[in-house]
This record gives sequence, C-alpha cells and structure tokens, in this order.
Amino acid sequence: MDIFFQQLVNGLTIGAMFALIALGYTMVYGVMKLINFAHGDMVAGAAFVGLTIYTHIMGEAASLLAVIAIFLLTAAVVAFLGILLERAAYRPLRNAPRLSAVVSALGASLIIQNGIMLVWGPQMRIFPELIPQVSWEFGGVIVSLIQFLIMGVSLLLMVALYLFIEKTRMGAAIRAASIDQDAARLMGINVDRIIAVIFIIGASLGAVGGLFIGLYYRGITFNMGWQYGLYAFVAAIMGGIGNIPGAMLGGIILGLFNAFIAGYVSSTWADAFTFILLIVILIVRPTGILGERVAEKV
Amino acid sequence: MKHSDYYGYALFFLALVILPSFLDSRWQAVATTFIIFTIVALSQDVVLGKSGMFNMGQALFFGLGAYTSAICNTKLGMPLLASVPLAIIIPAFFGIILAGPIIHLRGDYLLVVTIGFNIVFVQALQNNLLGLTGGPNGIFGIDTLQIPGVDSGSQAAVYYICLAALVMVLMMLKNLETSKAGRALHYFREDPLAAESIGINTRAYKIFAFALGAGIAGLAGTLYANQYSAVSPEAFDFVQSVLFFSIVIVGGSSVPGIVLGVFVMFVLPEIFRDFATWRYFIFGFAMIFTMILRPCGIWPATYGKVPAYILKGKQHGKK
Repeated sequence: MDIFFQQLVNGLTIGAMFALIALGYTMVYGVMKLINFAHGDMVAGAAFVGLTIYTHIMGEAASLLAVIAIFLLTAAVVAFLGILLERAAYRPLRNAPRLSAVVSALGASLIIQNGIMLVWGPQMRIFPELIPQVSWEFGGVIVSLIQFLIMGVSLLLMVALYLFIEKTRMGAAIRAASIDQDAARLMGINVDRIIAVIFIIGASLGAVGGLFIGLYYRGITFNMGWQYGLYAFVAAIMGGIGNIPGAMLGGIILGLFNAFIAGYVSSTWADAFTFILLIVILIVRPTGILGERVAEKV
Repeated sequence: MKHSDYYGYALFFLALVILPSFLDSRWQAVATTFIIFTIVALSQDVVLGKSGMFNMGQALFFGLGAYTSAICNTKLGMPLLASVPLAIIIPAFFGIILAGPIIHLRGDYLLVVTIGFNIVFVQALQNNLLGLTGGPNGIFGIDTLQIPGVDSGSQAAVYYICLAALVMVLMMLKNLETSKAGRALHYFREDPLAAESIGINTRAYKIFAFALGAGIAGLAGTLYANQYSAVSPEAFDFVQSVLFFSIVIVGGSSVPGIVLGVFVMFVLPEIFRDFATWRYFIFGFAMIFTMILRPCGIWPATYGKVPAYILKGKQHGKK
C-alpha cells in the first residue's frame, strides 16, 4: 500500500507541473486554434534562463528571496519571449491556412531548441539545489519540500488563473475571444491585446513549470522541451483543449497515470501507456474529457 | 499536365539517371538517401496533402516497413527481395487498423493521436517487443536486395533500385490523381460534408488513403534497410515524422515542392557539414519565413482546385 501512496504523491507532483505547462497550450489553442509547438521549448528555455540568472546575476545566493527573484525574473524574460514569438511567428499568419501556422510553430520550436543548444551547449546541465533537501515521512510515504512547493504553488497559480478568467473583465474578454474572435471584436474587444495577454500568462506559467522541472529533476537538457511539452500538450488534449479546468484535470490525470505505470508496470513503457490512454480517451470522447461537442459547421 | 511540366519531369529524371556517374560512392549514398526520403515524403503527401488529414506519424509506417524487412531477412532468413511485398502489406494493414477507430477525429486531435502511435511504436521497438526488434540498438547485418540478373552489390546499383521505386511511386500517384479514388480524396478534402452528401464513402476513402500512404512508406522502409543494412528505433522517431510533415506543407504538397523540401532538409546538411549544428536553427527561421511569405508553400499544388484546408479563411475565388 505504501507504494500506492508514494506514487500518488509523485504523480500529483509531476501532474501539477504538466498542468501548469498545459495551461499555456490550452489558452493559446482556445483563442487562436493553434497548437503552439514552441511552448515546450519555451519551458525548457525557462530552466536555462533561471540557471543563468542564478549563476551570473544572483552570484549563486540561495536565500528564499533569491529563489523568488529567480522565479519572477525568469517569468518576465520568458513572457517577453512569448510576446516576441507571437509577433514574429504567429501574427503574420493569423489569416493564413491553419497548417501554415502549425509549421511556423514547428519552426519556432526548432529555433528555440537549437538556440538553447547554441547558447548553453548540448550537454546536460545540472540545476542548482535552490530548495533545501528536506523531506517528511507520513506513515511510510516520503514527501519532500520541493514536492510540497510544486503542488502548493501550482495549485495557487491555477486557482488564481481560474479566478482571473472567471471573475475579471479581462477574463471575460478572453472567454469571449475564445468563443468567437470576430464577434468579440465587434463588441469592442481588442483581440490583439487578448492574444498578447494569453501569451504572457501562458509563458509565465510555463516558466514556473520549467523551473520546477529543473528543481525537481535537476538535470536539464536543450531538447527536453519536446518531451515535457508533448506531455503537457497531451494533458491539454485529454482534458479538452481550449478548456482551462480541463487542462488542469488532464495534467493531474496524466501525472498520476504516469507515476502508477512507472510504479506498478514498467518505466520503460510509461510513454507508450500514456499515449494509449490518450488514444482510448479520444476514441470514447473525441473532444477530450471536459471538451464540448463541436457542431460541424455547414 | 502542362507541356512545361513534361519537360520538367523529363529533365529531372534524366538528371537523376546520369547523376551517379558524376558522384563518388559517398555522394551516391547521399543521393540514395535523398530518393528514399522523397518517397516517404510523397507517401506523407497522400494522407496530408491530397486527403487533408493531419497525420504526424508517418515515420511509424516507414519504420514498420524497414523493420518488417529487417526481421524477415535476419530472423527468418528470407531474401530481402521476398520481404518487399510484406513490407508493403504489413504497414498498409496497420494503416487500416490504426486509422479505423480514429479517423473521425477532428484535425488537431488526429494529429496528436498519430504522434501518439508513433511514440508507442518507437517505445515498442526500444523495449524489444516479442524479442524481435533488437531493442535500442536495432537490427544489424541486413542483406542487400538481390535482383536476379543484376549485380546489385554496388552503391550505384542500390541507387538505381531506389530510383526505379521512385518512378513507380510517382506513376502510381499520377494515376491516383485521375482515378475514381483520387477524385474522391480530392473532393472530401475540399469539402467533407458535400462529398458525403454526393455519396462518397468518406470514411472508407480516408482509411484507404492511410493504407496507401502506409504501404508506400513501407516500401521506402525496405529501401532504407537495404541502404544502411541496419535499422534502429531513433531513425523512425516522431521528430522524423515532424520533418516529413513540415516538408509537405513547406513544399506546398506538389511533387517539385516536396523534392525541394527533401533536398533542403536532408541533402543540404550533407553538403555543408560544418553547418550541421546550426542547421535546425536556420531551418526554423526558413520555415517561418517561407510560411509568412508563401502561406501555401513554396510550390503550391495547382491540380484541380487549391486544397480547402489551404484556402480556409483566405482568398475567395482565387486559384
């Protein structure tokens, strides 16, 4: 039974990270109907930016204040990159065929991924131990400080995002734009601004996710964006892409499933089982767990 | 086809036929690889370009063909030539059973599921499924294609075998375009609902397109196994699928565009060896710029009407 609860904790931790990253996919898809393939690489980039801020700007100080500063600075840098990405790669293609934008996103992904490699090198870098290695035992289940932090901060951010989307004027505008861009524009909503806001939020949440990946797994590589990005993307699809609570749910389900497969079956088959789960879910519910049925436009 | 097209193709094939006499065997090998990847990209085009289904897992069928040949040859002792029909039929069969349950999914969902299939496939290879696939190292020591009456040991011979396959595939695709099935694919890409209402069984034809694309990719897989006499999982990774996907869209879903795309993606890096570490960085920019400047691809397909997914939200009535 211990292994069950241990994997539950591990699964919730990675699930929280997947969910954070998945929000970036789902919000962009919701408004622009575009799979932002570069998002995963932005997440990877965030880990490297955080590493550099720590070693070069912070002078390797490891206080609580420094950790918070690293998170804020990294989120700011990556949010700026997110806006830049939207301006350069997606805005010129907004009226172009769907697949052109997909290829543009793939191109952006290649640029970021290989840009990271050219700046920081192809080898694995070790992320600093910013969070002290403390852990507690609850009846045989070990929970570390970093796991608490990941779950806590992710929950906090997700609740904040949910409130922002549901309760504020800007949130209402985002919801309107995701239902119908043209109608939203007619109602006086500045869709360009909405898209910029979405990229800022998505990139910042992704940046937090990237730093968590660095803190949790310690080793970071230039091409890890595809791996985590794909998982987060699967989480977003699983929950019903474009649906914010769906992305959170999808992330948690994916993390738990992944941890239990690794714990009970085999870690070398974990990816395969994850995608089989996705395929089964999509066969049963073609638009994801919380996705709405989209009527065919005639 | 216009007259200029005929001349273009004639010149192109003439160039391909005389090419090996100007190249040493290393560059002949590069040219062979170029032809193999062109066949895979053409097979991707059957599903993505001609039928408008977002398939991002074509490397799966490519790999399935390659592994079928490799296993038949090294484990069952079949000559490589005898494995060719199997290497076409097995991927085509998998194309049917994999596409069957998912074919009704909307575009982006289909794209993710095909990525998923590709990842499951590669993981199965890496985990040495049924003890047949050789795990992460793959399978080594595959024989070469022995065609009776032909000395098929040299690199030039391997090249000509691939060229013959390419010509066959192109002729088949040309026939498809004007056949009943080809027109059905064309119509449902233009407008699935209208196609359905005039009595085209879109579901059957979608699965047919998947099977055809898979079969052609499987053939390319055999050629790959023959060329390298080894197969390993990472050659059929979904990143490879992403490249084929991009080539078809950047090329504009036409034969010249696809050939150009394969050349840029797979041959240029060979020519500029030093540029290898920079290549994807630069390709990324090239992909974005191409799409911004030419949203329908470098060389858009012009047969019939422009594909519906390319027209979506854009110009009306413009060819």
